[in-house]
Amino acid sequence: MEVEVDEKDLKAAGAEMLTDGRHGLRIHGWEIESRKRSILNSPNLQQWEEKLQTSHLPEMVFGESSLVLKHVNSGIKIHFNAFDALTGWKQEALPPVEVPAAAKWKFRSKPFQQVILDYDYTFTTPYCGSQTLEIEQEKHGRGEESLGSCTLCWEECNEKIDVASLASKEPILFYDEVILYEDELADNGVSLLTVKVRVMPTCWFLLLRFWLRVDGVLMRLRDTRMHCIFKDDANPIILRESCWREATFQALSAKGYPSDSAAYNDPSTISQRLPIIMHKTQKLKVE
Amino acid sequence: MSFDPVPSSNNHGNLDEQISQLMQCKPLSEQEVRMLCEKAKEILMEESNVQPVKSPVTICGDIHGQFHDLAELFRIGGKCPDTNYLFMGDYVDRGYYSVETVTLLVALKVRYPQRITILRGNHESRQITQVYGFYDECLRKYGNANVWKIFTDLFDYFPLTALVESEIFCLHGGLSPSIETLDNIRNFDRVQEVPHEGPMCDLLWSDPDDRCGWGISPRGAGYTFGQDISEQFNHTNNLKLIARAHQLVMEGFNWGHEQKVVTIFSAPNYCYRCGNMASILEVDDCKGHTFIQFEPAPRRGEPDVTRRTPDYFL
Repeated sequence: MEVEVDEKDLKAAGAEMLTDGRHGLRIHGWEIESRKRSILNSPNLQQWEEKLQTSHLPEMVFGESSLVLKHVNSGIKIHFNAFDALTGWKQEALPPVEVPAAAKWKFRSKPFQQVILDYDYTFTTPYCGSQTLEIEQEKHGRGEESLGSCTLCWEECNEKIDVASLASKEPILFYDEVILYEDELADNGVSLLTVKVRVMPTCWFLLLRFWLRVDGVLMRLRDTRMHCIFKDDANPIILRESCWREATFQALSAKGYPSDSAAYNDPSTISQRLPIIMHKTQKLKVE
Repeated sequence: MSFDPVPSSNNHGNLDEQISQLMQCKPLSEQEVRMLCEKAKEILMEESNVQPVKSPVTICGDIHGQFHDLAELFRIGGKCPDTNYLFMGDYVDRGYYSVETVTLLVALKVRYPQRITILRGNHESRQITQVYGFYDECLRKYGNANVWKIFTDLFDYFPLTALVESEIFCLHGGLSPSIETLDNIRNFDRVQEVPHEGPMCDLLWSDPDDRCGWGISPRGAGYTFGQDISEQFNHTNNLKLIARAHQLVMEGFNWGHEQKVVTIFSAPNYCYRCGNMASILEVDDCKGHTFIQFEPAPRRGEPDVTRRTPDYFL
């Protein structure tokens, strides 16, 4: 179901849709584009395994899918992709989470020549987006390259994302949701990293969400929200809010919440039940 | 579905009508499902844990409720009974039409018991179907859980493995450290819910891996088996090949362990978003192998999950 955007709304906002089969729009000096492709094929998957030095990747890696938000004048590019997210997973390398059946397996006679695999099969990642500064090809005569003297960094700040203004029903000029990777944990739950974006006449807003449910054991929700209000100055102001939540099924059941996995299919409806374990707001700075 | 007509005698004519109704993706009534599953149970309980199968036969992997793709599979591979089929489990969950998919396969089994073999996958279980879709779908389509109960009771009778012409060993998951010979499998009582551990669990859950020997998953449950294990098992049992399903592969099939093991996956564009190919393996009279790949059937009336309606998420 392709969503028809009102041409009048686009025009009034000074926006234009991307052409040539690209999915996205240009608005107030931003070029915002989503790409949704198939999962990686076997040769590509193998390349990724070598690059990431692992023999285990999520069974669905949407390696060619991405969301890119580029501010043309400043060269600021915010983007989301599976490779950077999985690099984060490799670095964080959380210890394994045992499923309920593991208790029974402990009593099993062990076969000769057995190895215990110890990677983080939940693919938990601290990833909260990628950012680069890019030189325009026409201006500098060279391709994509980070500016040597300038870097982007996120600084802690006291400002908050203005949720009230986001709740106002401005028309949505562009909307998309891109899955970066997904794994069914061999039918022991779900691990899912997605990013969704909406662009309105006055701002863009996005939510990158890592959602994990290990059936009968735990749930983990790592949300990153970014908000940028359009203004015509040189450098845009981008706020980023990270909120990590986590709870075990045991803790939820102790609070009187249901403890069956089927009750936890949609993270957006149950997120409030999971206690916050980390929260911070940052602002993007060019140095 | 509360006004079920009293079923007439369930001769072939009736069954053929049911099959053609199912081929149009229309579910049977609860009473019809009950009768069908009773007949299926009689047939399946006579089958072996290692059900012998003759060539020619077409071997298929996971379907996962993707009914229209199963219909496409029959268009490409040939209709049952013109083509003999061996399905390696996971008929239900994930897709939108688990009810129609599993009912059709069971109806074909009852109608042509010698022409189609349906093995058990790890999703043919009470516990898994309550989390991953089949249970909810039954509630939605029948208003109660009776049909879910009837099918999950029947799943206990599905054979666990099959043996094509004494040389291709077919099963859903993989090998088990508790099983050295096919006779080991023939000897156990399979009529039960899939246990959380033990040889029956391994057959439906384990995966081949690049590492040698037996690996234990970081989940603390679940085995992986290396090439040395596959070679030893094939040698001991005079097998040429282990054909299994259970894992999504982009190309629809994937050779492993130097062609001692092959993974076959028959749900194209899995979960309506992966963009993967599906495949089936044709084994001809002379035991030659041909993989046929196929893409998703053109969709009718299914929600397109790749484009969502904009929502004011926060």
